[in-house]
Amino acid sequence: MTRTIVVTWRCGPFSGRIDPRTLVFAVLMLAILITMSGFVLYSGNYPLSIAEISTILVQPKDDTPDIVIWYHRLPRLLVGIGAGAAFGLAGALMQDMLRNPLASPDVTGFGAGAACGALCSIMLTASSFWVLPGAIAGGVLSAALVLLLAWKNGLSPARLVLTGLALSLFLMALVDIMMARLDLLTAADAMKWLVGTFSSPEWSDVVLISCALASLGPAALWQGFALKRLALGDDIAAGLGFNVPTVRLWILFLAVGLTACAVGVAGPLPFVAFAANPIARRLSAGFGAGNGSPLLGAAAVGACLTVMADLVCRSLPIGADLPTGVFTTMIGAPLLLWQLTREIRKGVI
Amino acid sequence: MATFPFPLSAKGLTLTRPVGLVLDKLALAVPRGKVSVVIGPNASGKSTLLRCLARLLRPDEGEVLLEGAPVNLQKSKHVARQMAILPQNSTVPEYLRVFDLVARGRTPWQSPLSQWSVADALAVDRALALAGVEEYSLRPLSELSGGQRQRAFIAMILAQDAPILLLDEPTTFLDLPHQIELLELVRKLNRESGKTVVMVLHDINLAARFADHVFALRGGKVHREGTPGDVVTEATMREIFALDCLVIPDPLHGCPHVIPR
Repeated sequence: MTRTIVVTWRCGPFSGRIDPRTLVFAVLMLAILITMSGFVLYSGNYPLSIAEISTILVQPKDDTPDIVIWYHRLPRLLVGIGAGAAFGLAGALMQDMLRNPLASPDVTGFGAGAACGALCSIMLTASSFWVLPGAIAGGVLSAALVLLLAWKNGLSPARLVLTGLALSLFLMALVDIMMARLDLLTAADAMKWLVGTFSSPEWSDVVLISCALASLGPAALWQGFALKRLALGDDIAAGLGFNVPTVRLWILFLAVGLTACAVGVAGPLPFVAFAANPIARRLSAGFGAGNGSPLLGAAAVGACLTVMADLVCRSLPIGADLPTGVFTTMIGAPLLLWQLTREIRKGVI
Repeated sequence: MATFPFPLSAKGLTLTRPVGLVLDKLALAVPRGKVSVVIGPNASGKSTLLRCLARLLRPDEGEVLLEGAPVNLQKSKHVARQMAILPQNSTVPEYLRVFDLVARGRTPWQSPLSQWSVADALAVDRALALAGVEEYSLRPLSELSGGQRQRAFIAMILAQDAPILLLDEPTTFLDLPHQIELLELVRKLNRESGKTVVMVLHDINLAARFADHVFALRGGKVHREGTPGDVVTEATMREIFALDCLVIPDPLHGCPHVIPR
């Protein structure tokens, strides 16, 4: 029998239960993230000692090392953390909502749609101002299209995933065509829409993804209450007093919003959204904290995965700065294959 | 509040599916504080009726009244405080412990900011004891037998603290001793806590033994209703099931007992 230590807290009209092991898990994830952040700030072509970096962070001056940290490595790190957390959160929302580990926004085509929309807006307006509206429009349109095509007396997870995969491939082909038509300079920058990269980080991106997380994140955690009940099946959730279609629509809206913002700053970064939630679940189950908050865990794992991917891609001895998305694909794709074979064996698909 | 003799009623329920008419202007009124059982042949609309009563399905026409007010005009959370449902389909997350499942039953009384009030804790303890699942309350659902798991789900809807319980074929997948045990539990809840129960059962003899009131469905309508003695007769069995049988008094319990010829 598993031992249970659950702490109850009550404060006026507010109350809840928390497993202390969830907190241990959270602290551990935070420690990993901070360690990796240190590596990101430390590693690079311009050699800087840890002492120098900490001085720069505390007392910014105006010389080359400062520019390296403040205008390159730090925003790159923060965009990575923010985008990773948003992807992780969006993935967990979609997967838990449809009770299907394959239903993450990258697998179902929302990510590709957002990338396509962002690139479209760059081509049409030749400015980066419209990137985010373009990404959101692309994400919403592809979500609507996938839902429309997959809808038949409700939403079957298998149909949703297959439709999303097909649409994804089509949209990425569109992105390829548009890339071919761009001039070289823009195309180099637009590389990120293909797989996702942090090679040209800007503070405006940091602000954007922080705002997205600050507004959509709490709403997502609020919906986590409904998500836990939805895990017992649609009928039980309805019996417990939820309007299931409305809840689904809300969660879908949050997932699309988070995905679009993350794609807007970092590109599609395949498989981060897909992998974060299962990894977080497995890790927290390893701690025995099975009933902790999977949404926060998924956000933390998403951030760690992204920062780690960025770090690996930059330190590979290949020479060229490999796009981060290549690495996330390298670890994500085998995971997808493994998950697919599991689902097929279980007879879900 | 108990002003209506029928806490839950339906009128003119009509539902058409590609296979044909499932419910045909069905009307019924559930007596308060009794165990009502819906019987009928396959495809007579038993489960569909229960799902409509539980607002899991919206009928094409007609309405369901809960304490006199149309159920689909009330807030779902408000309805959930008055009526708890044990559906046939549920998914069981492998990590979930019985205690946490039962705690989920408190949902209509909770909010994301108030997930464990004193009332919640008391209601869950009470539900665990009533359903007799205390001894394995810390075990994950995936480790339990079918009977134990069904009891855990019953405990969950008990924690909901609703005066009306709707159970859709609660004995499916249980062996006979567990079926009896579960139905004894349902009757105990009715007798001791005054719950109004509506359930769908396949087995006529179990229905006759445990029901106070029987609704016999045929062709999407209530064909006959009343006490088991009134409804479970040779004539009615022939009419609704086309079953040629002998009905004798059960030597142990006195209720009607059907023996097919």
